[in-house]
Amino acid sequence: MKRRDLIRGSVLAGAAAALRPSLAAAQSVAQQPSELTPAQSGVDASKDLAAPGWKPLFLDEHQNETLIVLSDLIIPATDTPGAKEALVNRYIDLVLAAETPETQRTFLNSLGYVDGESMRRFKAAFRYLSREDQDILLHGLAYPRIGGGWAGDTGAVADPGHGHFEALKGRIMSAYYSSQIGEKELGWDGAFAHGPYQGCEHPEGDHK
Amino acid sequence: MSGTNMAQDPLLTTYDAVVVGSGATGGWAAKQLGEAGLKVALLEAGRAVSPKEFTEHMPSYKLKYRDHSPEVVRTRPVQKQCYACMEYNYEWFVNDLENPYSTPPGKPFTWQRLRILGGRSLVWGRQSYRLSDNDFKAAGRDGYGDDWPIGYADLAPYYDIVERYVGISGATEGNEMLPDGQFLPPMKMSCGEVQLRARVKAKFGHTVTIGRTAILTQNHNGRLACHYCGPCERGCSTFSYFSSPFTTVKDALASGNCTLLTNAVVSHVDMDTEPNKTRGVTYVDRLTRQVKEVRGKAVILCAQALESTRILLNSSTREYPNGLANSSGALGHYLMDHVVGAGASGRLPEFKTLPNANEPERPNGIYVPRFRNTPSSKRHSRFIRGYGYQGGAEAGFNFSAEGYGASLKKAVKEGEYGISLGAFGESLARWDNYIEIDRDLKDAWGIPALRISMTHGDNEAALMEDAGATAAEMLEAAGAKDIRVQAGVEMPGMAIHELGTARMGNDPKKSVLNAFNQAHDVKNLFVMDGASFVSSACQNPTLTMMALTVRACDHLIGRFRKGEI
Repeated sequence: MKRRDLIRGSVLAGAAAALRPSLAAAQSVAQQPSELTPAQSGVDASKDLAAPGWKPLFLDEHQNETLIVLSDLIIPATDTPGAKEALVNRYIDLVLAAETPETQRTFLNSLGYVDGESMRRFKAAFRYLSREDQDILLHGLAYPRIGGGWAGDTGAVADPGHGHFEALKGRIMSAYYSSQIGEKELGWDGAFAHGPYQGCEHPEGDHK
Repeated sequence: MSGTNMAQDPLLTTYDAVVVGSGATGGWAAKQLGEAGLKVALLEAGRAVSPKEFTEHMPSYKLKYRDHSPEVVRTRPVQKQCYACMEYNYEWFVNDLENPYSTPPGKPFTWQRLRILGGRSLVWGRQSYRLSDNDFKAAGRDGYGDDWPIGYADLAPYYDIVERYVGISGATEGNEMLPDGQFLPPMKMSCGEVQLRARVKAKFGHTVTIGRTAILTQNHNGRLACHYCGPCERGCSTFSYFSSPFTTVKDALASGNCTLLTNAVVSHVDMDTEPNKTRGVTYVDRLTRQVKEVRGKAVILCAQALESTRILLNSSTREYPNGLANSSGALGHYLMDHVVGAGASGRLPEFKTLPNANEPERPNGIYVPRFRNTPSSKRHSRFIRGYGYQGGAEAGFNFSAEGYGASLKKAVKEGEYGISLGAFGESLARWDNYIEIDRDLKDAWGIPALRISMTHGDNEAALMEDAGATAAEMLEAAGAKDIRVQAGVEMPGMAIHELGTARMGNDPKKSVLNAFNQAHDVKNLFVMDGASFVSSACQNPTLTMMALTVRACDHLIGRFRKGEI
């Protein structure tokens, strides 16, 4: 058992003891189950997206496939799983289905922009391009070059493609790093009681 | 009816005191009066809360929408402006569809509320600071507004009582603007914070201290020390942060003298046939809509500043046509909320610590006590009063890393060592910042709703301008790069520190309450929450509200024993 597990075990055992009197007080009061959030009721939705026979709620098949390809390029599997394994397309579809029409339109506009540029430059929709061409197109959107200068330069005009790229990337990153795979990617080992916080233990003026 | 622990029917009983609201101050009032032997009815508009609904250890991937729930957007468009209102816990916050309020055109105000046992103490920010005579007696020093009818010496013993019970972790600093208190051991500072503290002291002479917070750093009063999991606003299975249901309310019920009535939405205070005397309150049962009256020899409003005043405005009588206990006309006026919107953030590239989701998460930051317009500093030319900073420095994941692919994944994990300071400034008490009843608007229980009219003024804007520039200078001194400055003014309500509207004072012509939170006009009516504040200072107010409550209850118990109430 790791040291952290040991700490966690003891904290929770203590917590159970501390809970007793107030639990008794709380339990004497009738609960309104409908007034709990799903999370407060203990609902675990983490397996929902992996359900067999999953179908998109909002995206059409082409949009969904494009999103999978795009997410796999933006956060690929390396020595750890990437966005495709984390089913980020399914999460994004779920959230979009519940979004306002304006937000839905903005997303589809960004996705459509990528396809539009792909068709303009390569005569085919993005998902049908070779990996090499997909990379060329995406690189241009991610690091836009305008009029011989870079986007951050004085006088440079923002490339609209970069804005669409960042919007799509933002959704993909948010979906990935909030997934179980993403949490592991960030180093989380599954334990919740993390203390104590040690803070700075260096001598004065020497934090290296 | 639910939540009673006394045999008799609460509606047929005349209690010694009816306490309206079970949050930070209502819990204290119920505990103190109950433990002193008074028979207390504690009314809460919401339901009871159970530790079984705490979600602080639930990872976000278990949420269906991972905190993007359309239900929150639909039912809590105002509440979700608060970081603490999440897919995890939104049912603790009021449903905005059922709890409306209005604002005049061009004067937005965000009002964050909970209706549940414990109220906002379930999700509060927990920062706990004393006020000093630089605050209580500010008007005498700079000529603006009114002094409080009490001074620091009046409140200091009550700060002691509250701090000892609640458990405030913090460091003593001997700062003239921020009196020290009865502290549990302070939480530790990060390397970046230690460096900021040293360099700000060396270059500017200002203090940077660890946040003083109502979170236990050692076991205390039957509660366990913090285990640093992070998201306190979802509840705490070890009760390490202070919230009233598991501390003061629990003690009040244990006294055997307190009857808890949940789902009791108080509409107004009832007056006795004897003049200038209340006989209790009327409430609407939240679930059945039955109208009921609870009788008490004293009524104590602890419903939150705006809610307590709303109850009084809705309690007009022939004698008090503009709201109960309002012979002064001051009821509803002098609304304040700390001004926020300024600060600075940057990177400390010299620190190479890698971020890790598995590290302890300290639910606390650092604090910079007010350093403008102090007794030992010269008067600022552009504004009166001042601001304090809250902030922190730590390694974080770099979710704004550029590009895509394997290099993006790597950059996210390498992270950045960030540092930031954000200001909370004093909100000057102004007559023209006020609340009134909106005659066209009622809540889901038929109770007339509020119209809130508030703007921050020129002084607040000048504070924020200075706060942004000064924060940047401090971060630069600490070695920060890529410093971004904010110097704006956010809409009132964003600090969630609503204060005033039933101010204390010695002059009954200018104030609603006396120095003991007792209505000048109705001697058995008390308001024990932020409504009583005369000025806002710039420190987080909950600790002061609790200390005022304990002091006022001390006074009330004395009056009871003398048979004066």
